[in-house]
Amino acid sequence: MVAIGAVIGGLIGHLWWGICGALAVELTRHLVNLHQFDHWLRNRNRRDPPDAGGLWGDLVSQVSRLHRRKRFHKQRILRLFRELRRSTASMPDGVVALNPLREIVWFNRKAGELLGLRRKTDFGLQISSLVRVPEFARYLEKGDFSAGLRVHPRIGEAFCIEFQAVPYGEGQMFLLVRDVTRQAHLETMRKDFVANASHELRSPLTVIAGYLETLALDEDLPADLRPPLLEMRRQAERMTAIIADLLELSRLEATDEQVVGNPIDIAALLALLRKDAAARDAGRHTIEMRVESPDGLMGDPGLIHSAFSNLLDNAVKYTPAGGAITLRWWVDELGGHFSVTDTGPGISEEHLPRLTERFYRVDAGRARDAGGSGLGLAIVRHVLQRHGGQLKVESVEGRGSTFSCHFPPLRLVHEPVALADDTRYSA
Amino acid sequence: METSDLSQHISRRFNEDLERVRSQVLTMGGFVEQQLAKAVSALVEGDSLLGETVARDDFQVNKMEVSIDEECSRILATRAPAASDLRLIVAIIKAITDLERMGDECEKIGYIASRLALEERPADKYREVKHLGRVVQSMVHDSLDAFARMDPEAALRVARQDRLVDEEYEAIQRQSITFMMEDPRAIRRVIDVMWVVRALERIGDHAKNICEYVVFMVHGKDIRHVRIEDVESELKQRGGKA
Repeated sequence: MVAIGAVIGGLIGHLWWGICGALAVELTRHLVNLHQFDHWLRNRNRRDPPDAGGLWGDLVSQVSRLHRRKRFHKQRILRLFRELRRSTASMPDGVVALNPLREIVWFNRKAGELLGLRRKTDFGLQISSLVRVPEFARYLEKGDFSAGLRVHPRIGEAFCIEFQAVPYGEGQMFLLVRDVTRQAHLETMRKDFVANASHELRSPLTVIAGYLETLALDEDLPADLRPPLLEMRRQAERMTAIIADLLELSRLEATDEQVVGNPIDIAALLALLRKDAAARDAGRHTIEMRVESPDGLMGDPGLIHSAFSNLLDNAVKYTPAGGAITLRWWVDELGGHFSVTDTGPGISEEHLPRLTERFYRVDAGRARDAGGSGLGLAIVRHVLQRHGGQLKVESVEGRGSTFSCHFPPLRLVHEPVALADDTRYSA
Repeated sequence: METSDLSQHISRRFNEDLERVRSQVLTMGGFVEQQLAKAVSALVEGDSLLGETVARDDFQVNKMEVSIDEECSRILATRAPAASDLRLIVAIIKAITDLERMGDECEKIGYIASRLALEERPADKYREVKHLGRVVQSMVHDSLDAFARMDPEAALRVARQDRLVDEEYEAIQRQSITFMMEDPRAIRRVIDVMWVVRALERIGDHAKNICEYVVFMVHGKDIRHVRIEDVESELKQRGGKA
């Protein structure tokens, strides 16, 4: 172009004018192209790319190819995202995504319904600001998400939801929310049924036991009827014991709330238990007591007595005559511990996990001879749960077993008189 | 609005302090909500144990108030907040006082409920109290929601409900007078129930106060002792200008 300008300039005798004119034309063309290019970039979604040759044409086609590819990916991601949103919206359970600060990042429709969350306004707010049930805040703070949490957001109503936190990544978590009103209702019905049935069975049984007792005292009773009558009395007593245990268990199960209770003098409690057991045992076992700490325990005296005496009764029942039983109470940095060790036949490993189930028997024949109700360990487990404690069982077959109760340090009372302060809410 | 302001602080620690104290207020609010629900349910179901639990647990509300108060003083002293941050702190200091008083009213209801549980229940099974309780409960819940979301429109909606509570209170009062005239033996019980209803009405007033602080926090405008309609029209005008 410049060369053509120079030639024309040379022909008309003004070489520089020719070159300048040519440069001006060239510049104008570039400016026009640049303007078109800019205009197209601004409205590239609605317009066709400008038709320019040479370098500009290459540039335009490069950019439009990039643009097409970007749009393609964007649409694919958008489609995927819409699909995801549609599918999570139709999920039967609620899901809330939280960042490490426990702020709401995202939630699906069901979670919004169950928790009363609103789109747009609630993103970025702390979940505990909107779900203000105190148990929920405690659940998130505790950081133990092995189990879910059931709450009644509205006291006095059946509506019940279950939370399950699922941590992932670096501190983020998913919160699964389920409406468990129906399950909770069924469970209450089942518990009520057990409690009511036991209660209803108790009165007729009292009558039967009473008549059996009177009959046994009757001296005119034929001698051949005496053994069956004795057996009937024994079985009636067992049934009474089972029903008493069932009632206690359903009372324990009625609530999950932690017992506040009063300070208990453990040394005195163990001395009492030992005396009672020794009196019933009539010297068949040696019962040793090792109290290694003067500390007491915050708890319900009746429940703790029932749990400890259940463990001791089991040891007495299953340890053959001549065996030794040791009661031990000690305190360390993990809290307070109570254990009952016996030199009985022991329990093989496969039974240990199921030991606290109701009516579970290690050996069907043995337990019934000893007259257990099959509910003792279930009661122990529930009592400990309500005190924030745990039951652990160690056993070696043929050598004996150790049942131990572990209480958290918060439950200990160092001076038996002072009441432990509830420090849950202190800053 | 406010939340975006909060994220612009140069000092990240300051941000965290504000967020923490705000979530503490809502934790306290959640606890008071539960106390209220338990107290009403203790009365309606005649559960004396639950009533005693409510009365006993009030010390936790007091403890939370003291701890949040200290935290606010600390922020005021060390950070010297200005503008919306200052309004947030001021609103929090006021709100926890109202929450603490709500807690006291719940304690009162719990105490009376445990006493009434031992007596004969009236034929209507406290239906009116139950209904009033439900209205007040939803007021408290919604006012705390408005506080969490910094939503002045929702706050004004809740504040308007207070009138409903007052009307309900009047109605129960009139009905109670009739009961007392009909059966003088019931006077003692009816007076106790009146105390409960009075406490519920007070709780509604405190919830309304919290709503006013929300408007103050967001718009910087004090709307106490002003008719709600006037406030609404003024806020609407402002919105129009903006």
